[in-house]
Amino acid sequence: MPLEQYQPQFFTADEWAFILAATARLIPSKGDGPGAIEARVPVFIDLQLADDFGKGADWYMQGPHDPNAPPQLGYQSPLRPAEAYRAGIAKLNDWCRAKHGGPFVELSPEEQNDILTALEKHEIALASTPAANFFDLLLQSNKEGYFADPMYGGNYKMAAWVHIDFPGARASFREWVGVDKPYPLGPVSITGERA
Amino acid sequence: MKTLLVAVLALVVLGLIAIAPIVLVPVAKTSAQQLVASDFTQDGGKSEYLVRLADCAPCHTAEGRKPFAGGLAIPSPFGTIWSTNITPDRETGIGSYTLDDFRAVLYDGLRKDGAHLYPAMPYENYRKISENDVRALYHYFMNKVEPVSSPVRQTQLSFPFNQRWGIRAWNWFALNEARFKPRYNDLVLDRGAYIVETLGHCGACHSPRKFFLAQDGTDATAQGFLTGGEIDGWPVPSLRGPASAATKWSAEELRAFLATGRNNHSGVTGEMTPVVQDSLQYLTGKDLDAIVAYLRHISYAAEQPPARIDDRSKRTIALLNSADPSMDLGPRLYLDNCNGCHFTNGKGARGVFPELDGNPIVVARQSGGLIDVILKGARMPSTESRPMRLAMPAFGQRLSDKEIADLATFLRQSWSNNAGPVDKTAVAVRRQKLASH
Repeated sequence: MPLEQYQPQFFTADEWAFILAATARLIPSKGDGPGAIEARVPVFIDLQLADDFGKGADWYMQGPHDPNAPPQLGYQSPLRPAEAYRAGIAKLNDWCRAKHGGPFVELSPEEQNDILTALEKHEIALASTPAANFFDLLLQSNKEGYFADPMYGGNYKMAAWVHIDFPGARASFREWVGVDKPYPLGPVSITGERA
Repeated sequence: MKTLLVAVLALVVLGLIAIAPIVLVPVAKTSAQQLVASDFTQDGGKSEYLVRLADCAPCHTAEGRKPFAGGLAIPSPFGTIWSTNITPDRETGIGSYTLDDFRAVLYDGLRKDGAHLYPAMPYENYRKISENDVRALYHYFMNKVEPVSSPVRQTQLSFPFNQRWGIRAWNWFALNEARFKPRYNDLVLDRGAYIVETLGHCGACHSPRKFFLAQDGTDATAQGFLTGGEIDGWPVPSLRGPASAATKWSAEELRAFLATGRNNHSGVTGEMTPVVQDSLQYLTGKDLDAIVAYLRHISYAAEQPPARIDDRSKRTIALLNSADPSMDLGPRLYLDNCNGCHFTNGKGARGVFPELDGNPIVVARQSGGLIDVILKGARMPSTESRPMRLAMPAFGQRLSDKEIADLATFLRQSWSNNAGPVDKTAVAVRRQKLASH
């Protein structure tokens, strides 16, 4: 099924448009290897947010939530990941409309890059959603969707693994220990896909 | 025309008259074959041990029911046979059986009411159990087992197999003498023979079935005895042939396999798994040694030197080691799915992962066992000395019929293996069968 025909499980149409645009900036299609769009990272994020990850099902979500806590104390937002995404996208689009006259998706790639950079540097404050948390969440989801097993929706056709020569879920390489040449065989996924 | 009708009618009547005695005349029960002191009794421990040796529990216990209360469905080529309640309950079990009734079950396959049991009950083998042991078994079931009032489903095969009198004719043909005769003038070998040929009823699965599915001999004097059989599309390995475990493995390895279901070469799978778990692991060291000595004694081939790695094996290993992207689907699937545990030399890991090179399930004429293990995985039994239930995962979800066929064909034709290919329709049939269980 082409990506255009994908029916999001979690995102609304506006949110989906934002995710397609934002992931395309974080891992662009131009340059080496597949971009987030080719690897279908948006599908991964959508499926994750519709499932246990989105609900923070196995996270400790009771307070206190201390934004200044050291990072080893973990996630500090009272919002579950799905809520954080929903609120974060809405607030960032509000901010874009106020400062640039339109939602994120309608801005130029250069403007989008600047906004994401500012978001990462805490230069944009989003009310009720700690801005840095939202950017961290978005970047983390991108990395995961890009490199996770294709059974979770991203890393479509193991393109990211092929790009970095990762051989996938093949359990043993014992016979290659000490062999001084590159491992030639393409990857295999958890469900047995070959590339 | 009329004459013809009369002639046909006369033939039918004659036929009925001929069959009538088989159907109507009561069957004589075989009597005790040895004299036993009239006050003979067995102590509890000994009788329980004999019940373990005879391995009654796995067939006569269904999941979720009390031990020996029966109700297990046993598939046969003729339909499902339901195992009976052998607890001493008077109504639904064998509580009303006298010693003579009980012996007739073991020796003649006869129920107390005179009906013939289907030979799923291995009375072909049990009829050689000594009188001492018959009495001990009777003592155990009457006094050591709790009566369980639990009716079981009646076995209802389709015509003609529902005509139980037909089994009487089969018995005349199939049954050997009801007495075990020591042949070796050696206490250890004769003990081993007694266990294997009678209580252990190994021949019920490990001997081929000849005409009308009678076992091909019930002791080692028969050429076919323990030379391998087939259950439900699975191969049952030969215990005597040149490639058999008794020939290829050391006494120590054979003993380890029997007692724990695993050794440096193999892990038990299929119907033998409960035999290890419920019966063999409880055997005394002396009895295990006797079985091993006997099996090695009756083997047809002398002990062989360790197999050398031949050119075919080297080619397989070189191909797998190359990880060449242009290799065929079979070896590619081996690298993707199997190599993590069984390794490119097909030797697995001692005591943990079975060898595929030379594995009788892999190279058997019947490919059902190999296909089933790939489809649904396998799990070793848990025994006192090796409690870990080591498991192989199922690959049925991960691999298509065509992929399993290619992989199985590769396994059967690699290293020193040299067996026929597997077709994808054979895989589809096994997949269907497993889904319907």
